Amino acid sequence: MVLKPIVNIMLLLATLTAFSQDDLYSSLTIPDDLKKGANAVVRLNEMHVVIESQNKILISLDRVVTVFNEKGNQHLQAGVGYDNHIKVKKIEAVIFDENGEVLKKKKKRDFIDYSAVDGGTLYSDSRVLFLGYTPINYPYTVKFSYEVESVNTAAIPTWRPINSYFLSVEKDSFILNDQANLGLRSKEISFDEFQVKKSTSSNTLSYTISNVPPIKPEDLSPSLNSITPYAMVAVEKFHFNGVDGHAKNWNEFGNWIRNSLLKGRNEVTEKTKQQILDLVKGIDNPIEKAKKVYEFVQNNTRYISVQVGIGGVQPIAALEVDNLKYGDCKGLTNYTQSLLSIAGVKSYYTVVEAGKEIIDFDTDFASLEQGNHIILGIPNNDEMIWLDCTSQIHPFGFIGDFTDDRKVLVIKQDYSEILKTINYPDSINYQFTKADIKLSVDGSINSEVTIKTKGVQYDNRFYIERKSKKDIDEYYKEYWGNVNNLEINDYSFENDKEDVEFTEKIKSRAQNYGSINGDRLIFAPNAFNKNSFIPNRYRNRKLPVEIQRGYLDEDSFSYTIPNEYVIESLPENVSIKNKFGEYFIEFIQDGNKILYNRKLKILKGKYPKLEYDLYRNFRKKISKMDNYKIILKKL
Amino acid sequence: MIKKVYFFVFVISFQLSLGQEIEFGKVTKEELLEDVYAPDKSANAAILFQQQKTYFNSTYGANELITEIHKRIKIYNGDGFDYATEVINLFRAGSSAEVARKIKAYTFNIENGKVKKTELEKDQIFKSKLSYNYNQVKLTMPNVKEGSVIDIKYQKRSPFIWSIDEFVFQYDIPIKKLEAEIRTPKGFRFNTTNKGHITFFPKRSTKTDNRLGMQVVINKYFLNNVPALKEESYVDNINNYRAGVMFELVSVEFPGYFKSYSQTWKDVAKTIGSSDDYKNQLDKTNSFDDELDDLISGKTDQVEKMKVIFKYIKDNLKWNGIDGKYFFNGIRKTLKEKKGNVADINLTLVAMLRYAGIDSNPVILSTKDNVIPFFPTVDRLNYVIAYAVINEKKYFLDATEEFSDINLLPVKDYNWKGIYIDNNKLIWKQIDISSPEQAVAQYSINANLNEDGEINGKLSARYTKHNALEFRKEYKDQDEESFIASKEKSLDNIEISNYTVKNTDSYEGFVAESFEYYQENGADFVDGKIYIQPLSFLSLEENPFKLEERKFPVDFGYPFAKKYMVSIAFPEGYTVESTPEPVRLKIPNDLGELKYIPRVTEKNIQLIFTFDIKKPRIMTDNYLFLKQFFNQMIIKCKEQIVLTKA
Repeated sequence: MVLKPIVNIMLLLATLTAFSQDDLYSSLTIPDDLKKGANAVVRLNEMHVVIESQNKILISLDRVVTVFNEKGNQHLQAGVGYDNHIKVKKIEAVIFDENGEVLKKKKKRDFIDYSAVDGGTLYSDSRVLFLGYTPINYPYTVKFSYEVESVNTAAIPTWRPINSYFLSVEKDSFILNDQANLGLRSKEISFDEFQVKKSTSSNTLSYTISNVPPIKPEDLSPSLNSITPYAMVAVEKFHFNGVDGHAKNWNEFGNWIRNSLLKGRNEVTEKTKQQILDLVKGIDNPIEKAKKVYEFVQNNTRYISVQVGIGGVQPIAALEVDNLKYGDCKGLTNYTQSLLSIAGVKSYYTVVEAGKEIIDFDTDFASLEQGNHIILGIPNNDEMIWLDCTSQIHPFGFIGDFTDDRKVLVIKQDYSEILKTINYPDSINYQFTKADIKLSVDGSINSEVTIKTKGVQYDNRFYIERKSKKDIDEYYKEYWGNVNNLEINDYSFENDKEDVEFTEKIKSRAQNYGSINGDRLIFAPNAFNKNSFIPNRYRNRKLPVEIQRGYLDEDSFSYTIPNEYVIESLPENVSIKNKFGEYFIEFIQDGNKILYNRKLKILKGKYPKLEYDLYRNFRKKISKMDNYKIILKKL
Repeated sequence: MIKKVYFFVFVISFQLSLGQEIEFGKVTKEELLEDVYAPDKSANAAILFQQQKTYFNSTYGANELITEIHKRIKIYNGDGFDYATEVINLFRAGSSAEVARKIKAYTFNIENGKVKKTELEKDQIFKSKLSYNYNQVKLTMPNVKEGSVIDIKYQKRSPFIWSIDEFVFQYDIPIKKLEAEIRTPKGFRFNTTNKGHITFFPKRSTKTDNRLGMQVVINKYFLNNVPALKEESYVDNINNYRAGVMFELVSVEFPGYFKSYSQTWKDVAKTIGSSDDYKNQLDKTNSFDDELDDLISGKTDQVEKMKVIFKYIKDNLKWNGIDGKYFFNGIRKTLKEKKGNVADINLTLVAMLRYAGIDSNPVILSTKDNVIPFFPTVDRLNYVIAYAVINEKKYFLDATEEFSDINLLPVKDYNWKGIYIDNNKLIWKQIDISSPEQAVAQYSINANLNEDGEINGKLSARYTKHNALEFRKEYKDQDEESFIASKEKSLDNIEISNYTVKNTDSYEGFVAESFEYYQENGADFVDGKIYIQPLSFLSLEENPFKLEERKFPVDFGYPFAKKYMVSIAFPEGYTVESTPEPVRLKIPNDLGELKYIPRVTEKNIQLIFTFDIKKPRIMTDNYLFLKQFFNQMIIKCKEQIVLTKA
């Protein structure tokens, strides 16, 4: 409902235009409201999907995009992925100038063919055919089309017509025909808000969206994907890279993964088996056993991703991980599960959409497209302990902000289901900074700082203990960029994996921290946790506000001031509490000492767009007060 | 100096005679038990040994350049696991391609006190087509743990026998021991140039190679304890400082045959100049259309002609993003398709300037991203710009970048020198490229402070040279609303209104910007006093130079200056209590200058502040001065004027 206001604006702006195909190639025919604020316009994106049999699906696309400037080039999306199971039968493009005159025609052999391996992957058989074109003038238009034949009826493309900021859509349609009657299922989201036209039958689907002006990104807004329309489509009887399947809900889907992808892949060597048995000998508590096994996996494996054929969804066998001592998320999770079962500990292979942004599985629509990572769940009474088996350094049961607080598919022996992973509440994402600071006559400070972090804040910091001296030095100089001239004299760390708490102790010195102005020495008491984040100002905020994770910072800094000075003025104490969080500072004078206490709590929450300015004002106040100065005067 | 060299050679050979042979597949227990790399304890992994042998081979009339590699890598901890993956990039051109052969590798671990050896299986080696001219072989070792030692060897066979890849002697992890050898047939003379910060010398000898049936020259390199190479900010290109050897063919000589390539920069210039692109194409004018004639007809001033031609090229030809000193399309096709690589565009520019009667020639260079050519080389030059002389004044032109201007080249072009090719006058030589002029950003503020501590003001700014170029790029990169929003954010969240900017579409002249602003926290009012930082939201808050010492020079790209003139009217009834000291400061050798002159009148706070860096590059011996210089700027920015109620 939060969305309504935006949509109304869009409806006002949208105008209906009738056009012939040829009109699309000239950029002169684009309605003004689609041009304003857009880097490119999708004139037409028409996808036809025909399912001929359980292992034959034909996908064809006609896409016409007009690009207005350099930034719009990325929206051409004139490429297609393929591998051994996906054949590109046709691919071509025609490039038109502003007036719709043909500039160039590109055949299949003109497309660039390269490996679609990302940085984290050792090898993948995925490849991409991509149009390489240097535009000579803007605007220009590209008509791009392809036909692809694939065996993967489990991977029907998700329809997501508005997938970028600064991109408007003149017309986008999706037409599907399930000729094989495999049991078509679909789920449509945010269709009404964007007036998507839809018609369906038991084996056909058709969606059309028209005249959507571009959306501009705004700070602290929900992700574009969560507010724009999309449709997920699947068939009950499907096929993926050589494996058949059948599922209409998550339980059946979980069964398919268990029986077709995981089954029989849990053997390990006799030697490893014995090692595990020795490791857990004498331990009764399953969680204590699991800790030992997790530590074993962390110490003996590493993350390497190799994706070949069905390997995109099927783990390499535990035995192979045992020999190679590496695997990807699937392989390492399956391996850990195998070892846990040797130790007599039950655990669940769990599919998740990982990333800092929280993305849920759809509870009532099962499909292969959802999820990009695998973790392991260990039942512990009524709750679940989650393990990320790809990390060699995370504490047992701590998954940080990579997979927290989201709906995931848990594959069980009897009944697979959607569950939610652990949520780290605001007050658990905690940081406490304590500092003893000696201020000298010349304005320099000598400080001993202790920082303790927990929860997601732990996740953001504990990795630094593994860095080199030079990097650590630089890390603190960046972190305390507000302290000019900082020198790090000494540091030590303590990583308490049991309680998931990280402690940093840093000794530092900074010349000229306080500024000398005639008889006065002026300094900012918040030396070591200054928060100057203020989100952008928008004259006309369009999107709602979302803060996905909250946190709590507490600080206690004690300043010893030089004998030659007295306090002339201390800022006032402040205490603010509102729906977004809390901010509190106090100044306590005690002889030649000043104690500065501070608390900042930001809550997780969703707010309508009208409240954006309130939140921004709150952050502005915090930024201002974090910059308060204490003024000392010479005796 | 000379003594030092002898000493060094002595040490090296001494170690040689004592050093034991390192054999592939045989790892010592000591190597496995070592838990830290003693000379650099922060190393997550180290190369214990690297051996490389490069030589020519001829079988059945096919000539090949073979490189045998053996690497022994020690993994100290989990953060070093990345070094258990080896990536071999293989160049391909047409039907010729480099290949990797005879890949063999083992992982060694200590298990129960015994050395355990795990072999890399063939099916764990992955080959792929990376791009149109590169293939790639990738492998990662099995059974890798903290403490593992990895032995990898392979052969790289190349049909491109004249281009010997650079020998790389330094990585981001340290090398304990390195041996490299290159054998070249005696008739082929290669120039070898060492680079980087480490001193080393080859041991040179000759012998008869029985397989080739000819004399070969052998250069051997021995290095020990090569430190890891770590990135720093403001470095032009870290590879300029990486230890290694570069090879360049200078001549081929056999009985009855002699061909010289590039022994001096003059030879380089001649070699490039005698290629068809430079020899014959630059004076072909039949593909120029009437539009060009219309542009220059009636104009007599050569500078004016040059400007219209430069503009014509920029408006009509688009750079396709590819570097090159030779044509990709050629002039005719470039003009037809309206795009091309660097040579297509800038050589077309040369040709048109010549057509208009201007004395113009190409200047070849190597851009910053392509390392400095330390020695006469053809292969390592990747770029060409146009050069013109009119009334003895020199003009450098690069038409590939949208906002570049005559004598205002993209920063990457200012990398050392250029190679001048004038076939007509028979002049081939190395020349200096005029260094970039100082870019000036000038700000003037006129503002009013009220009793609530708020400031309403007006800012006018002017940006010249590379500052203007960068402003234009940034401005073009986003819509004005976002541009202003990010400006507000970077200027301490002032609120901007009536924003105007002039001359952002052009590439000539300066950019002028002005706006009104509202600042909520303009000054602090405490106990009847006003505390105010006159430079306020334009203050520099963080020193970009944080390291205590630096290994490599600082490269700003171009000299620059910031000049501020601030005038803020304060409420009635206040008089000045204290004003910061004026300061004038210089970096030695006139590298930079800082001036800070505050003044308080009856009604106004005024400040004149200049921050001036006069050289694009600052060498490491002046680094601490530079750091201190920025530091002083920050200190002065923080100082406050104190006013008190009368």
